[in-house]
Amino acid sequence: MGLLWLLSFCTMKTWEVMKEMYESTWLFCLKRVITLPFVLLGVSIMTFLFIRFVPVDPAEVILRLSGVAPTAEAIQALRSELGTDQPLSIQYFIWLKGVLYFDFGTSFVSKLPVAQEILEKLPATFELALAAFVCIICFSIPLGIISALYKNSVFDKIVGLLSIISVSIPTFWLGFFLLYLFSLKLGIFPTNGKGTILHMILPAVALALPTTGLFVQAIRTSVIEELQKYYVQYAYLRGLKKTVILSRHVFKNAAIPLTTMLGMTLGNLLGGAVIVEQVFSWPGLGRYLIESIINRDYPVVQCYVLIIAIIYVFANLCTDILHRVLDPRLNGEGGRVE
Amino acid sequence: MIFFKKLLPFILILMLTILAGCSSSSEGNGSKTSNEEKMITVGWPLDIGPLNPHTYLPNQMTAQAMVYESLVEYNDDGTISPKLAESWEISDDKTAYIFHLRQDVKYSDGTAFNADNVIRNFKAVLADRDTHSWMGMVNHIVDVVKEDDYTIRLQLDAPYYPVLNELAFVRPFRFLGDNGFPEGDTTNKGINAPVGTGPWVLTEYKKDQYALFSRNEHYWGEKPLVDKVKVKIIPDSESISLAFENEELDLIYGRGIISLDNYTFLKDSDQYKTAVSEPLSTRALLFNTQSGPLAELKVRQAIQHAVNKEQMVESITHGTEKVANTLFWDAIPYANIDLKPILFNPEKAEQLLDEAGWTLKSGDKIRSKNGQPLQLDLIYIATDAIQKPMAELMQGELAKIGVQLNLEGADVMVGLQKLMDNQVDINFWRTNGPPTDPHSFANESATPNANGVYEAKLGLDNAAQIDGKIHQLLIGTNEAERVQLYKDILTMFHDQALFYPISYETNNVIYHKHMKDFNPSASEYDIPYAQMDLK
Repeated sequence: MGLLWLLSFCTMKTWEVMKEMYESTWLFCLKRVITLPFVLLGVSIMTFLFIRFVPVDPAEVILRLSGVAPTAEAIQALRSELGTDQPLSIQYFIWLKGVLYFDFGTSFVSKLPVAQEILEKLPATFELALAAFVCIICFSIPLGIISALYKNSVFDKIVGLLSIISVSIPTFWLGFFLLYLFSLKLGIFPTNGKGTILHMILPAVALALPTTGLFVQAIRTSVIEELQKYYVQYAYLRGLKKTVILSRHVFKNAAIPLTTMLGMTLGNLLGGAVIVEQVFSWPGLGRYLIESIINRDYPVVQCYVLIIAIIYVFANLCTDILHRVLDPRLNGEGGRVE
Repeated sequence: MIFFKKLLPFILILMLTILAGCSSSSEGNGSKTSNEEKMITVGWPLDIGPLNPHTYLPNQMTAQAMVYESLVEYNDDGTISPKLAESWEISDDKTAYIFHLRQDVKYSDGTAFNADNVIRNFKAVLADRDTHSWMGMVNHIVDVVKEDDYTIRLQLDAPYYPVLNELAFVRPFRFLGDNGFPEGDTTNKGINAPVGTGPWVLTEYKKDQYALFSRNEHYWGEKPLVDKVKVKIIPDSESISLAFENEELDLIYGRGIISLDNYTFLKDSDQYKTAVSEPLSTRALLFNTQSGPLAELKVRQAIQHAVNKEQMVESITHGTEKVANTLFWDAIPYANIDLKPILFNPEKAEQLLDEAGWTLKSGDKIRSKNGQPLQLDLIYIATDAIQKPMAELMQGELAKIGVQLNLEGADVMVGLQKLMDNQVDINFWRTNGPPTDPHSFANESATPNANGVYEAKLGLDNAAQIDGKIHQLLIGTNEAERVQLYKDILTMFHDQALFYPISYETNNVIYHKHMKDFNPSASEYDIPYAQMDLK
């Protein structure tokens, strides 16, 4: 009986200790990193299957897009060269084995290693996504805060309307509108290509605007919610200056829920760049993806989705860590109530 | 505020990273010329690719044609003229072709063009026969032999009349300089450098951004009038139009590079010059006779009578395409034959359907036969700015005679695949165009899983007879017989109303007024940059 009590006591104690450790930031990260391969495995299987649901075989597509009629010999030769004549399971395991050795296969069309091609194009897409990210932060933070502080003012209403418009406009339409206005009519920016800061501004703005609208409203709501909390009224009663209350307490607390959105944004921007790159002839991954889907270039599509999934997972992880750093209560360490 | 102070360095680092990434020099605008150098800038939707003369995708035919040349050339009127071969002889049994090569030709790197190099190119291509098996000649070549330093003999196992047409095609029988060959001559895997005999040399290239071609100073023929051609890669057709309007491009050239709406808009602005080439290919509908109502000739004919084609082509292509009443344009070899067009005549359409037993019962809007409604499925390419309105217009026209046309937008190759699998009634279809038509059309029409015609005609009573004539045609040696066979085949296709020819597609060209006039060619890949000049 005593032994049983001791055993259950130890188990309880161990559980509590483990729980405490588990809740700590580092173990939380470890847990996320451990689950990462399973997430990626799931993503890879789904991508592998979904891209194969697209009708017409890649060998046939490649031959037809080359302007030649696919003879039975040419199709067979190409299928065996591409490896698409093998059973699906074997194709998947060959691909997966390669991925474990960082070999993402060879593009069906260019015959170059997929990883090399993607790494060549990834910096351009990152550049665009980062520029858009900066735009979002630069525009949404001041606009959101001012809107909240001057709630229901004319400024707030105009910002609200513009936010709704920016979120509702399709990206391609916005892209062409910007090109028409700023390139064709005002002659400020070039319509296509990459090279100078002028080439980057319009695509970055087109990519950033829909998310900016969303952010402005989220920041506004978050700040308004904080302003209504008791600690703000209490701080006023304590005689603190308004600027101190806002800068040291309100903005910091209001920012916490927004960190999750911020993390997701980078992933969204990378995904959203597909259309913007097409409209502005930006030589990034998005354009490559469109061409690869049309050409049924399976290895490229699989590698692209896998990379975007990794970026999403890591962006989420960073967000969660940032979230925990900003709000110690999530670590179970108590934390100061402000 | 402290929180934002913490964020500030992060934002600054991001901005610096972006600025660092943008530090490369600015590209010049299209129509501007620096010093005395003349440069033409053109927009193209896809990257030019590795410029390998012996392979297909992702190589762009228009770029391959700038750098590499063929032994013979196909002209817009359907004739063949000398190019790298100054003359040729064909043996009496039509199985040997002797080509006499030009002796004044040098590659862009200054190396000589001779029989050894030509044979090396042929052997590199023939090492991958399966890939090139679509080209009938490849299956007949037995050997390529050097007769002397500037003479080669192409030996076939049997007569195959379209040899010269196929040699004129942009790939794979074009010639790479010795310095361009990789180890083992495996050009199907890649090349060392794009060394050709053509009027242009690739001098600067940024993948997915632009390719700069300079005049080949070793060129044997008439030198191009401008020094450089810059091909800017702009994937979206609307963006190409905007870049042209913004004077970043000097011209837009080709079929389907921009939408015909945009073309008309730019043309009507009167600020630019426009030109249209002679027809290059035919836009048509292909009827699936394997099953369903289209197995009946009268139904196929009725559909053709029911649509006001003149009005449809004029309103949708804005007059840039000519109405097609026969499958091939007259300038296509062997295609200039007298065929009676099926003209717009809705009364006749209704009469034919009545005769076929597809009747309209009172109160019904759709005809039926044995309780089966007259419904047809048509697949169009969802992103095609011409096919969709044409399909919708035909849907309206056919509804007037009691035929229900169900439309489905799909990806590029889906329609053809479904037609071959007998899952759809009608699909948009186009001919290959010169220099391989009409023999490639004939060859593919008798081959399963090629251009869909083999499958589409399976329901015809005389399908086997057509195939027989096609096989006879390709191996025949008598020219008069060949003319007759083509006449028979094209007439049978026409009488069976298997195709509904809609319009002849053209290269549409629009250019700024600072360019001199030039004649666009009726070729899908040969853009006459050498004739273009600035004022």
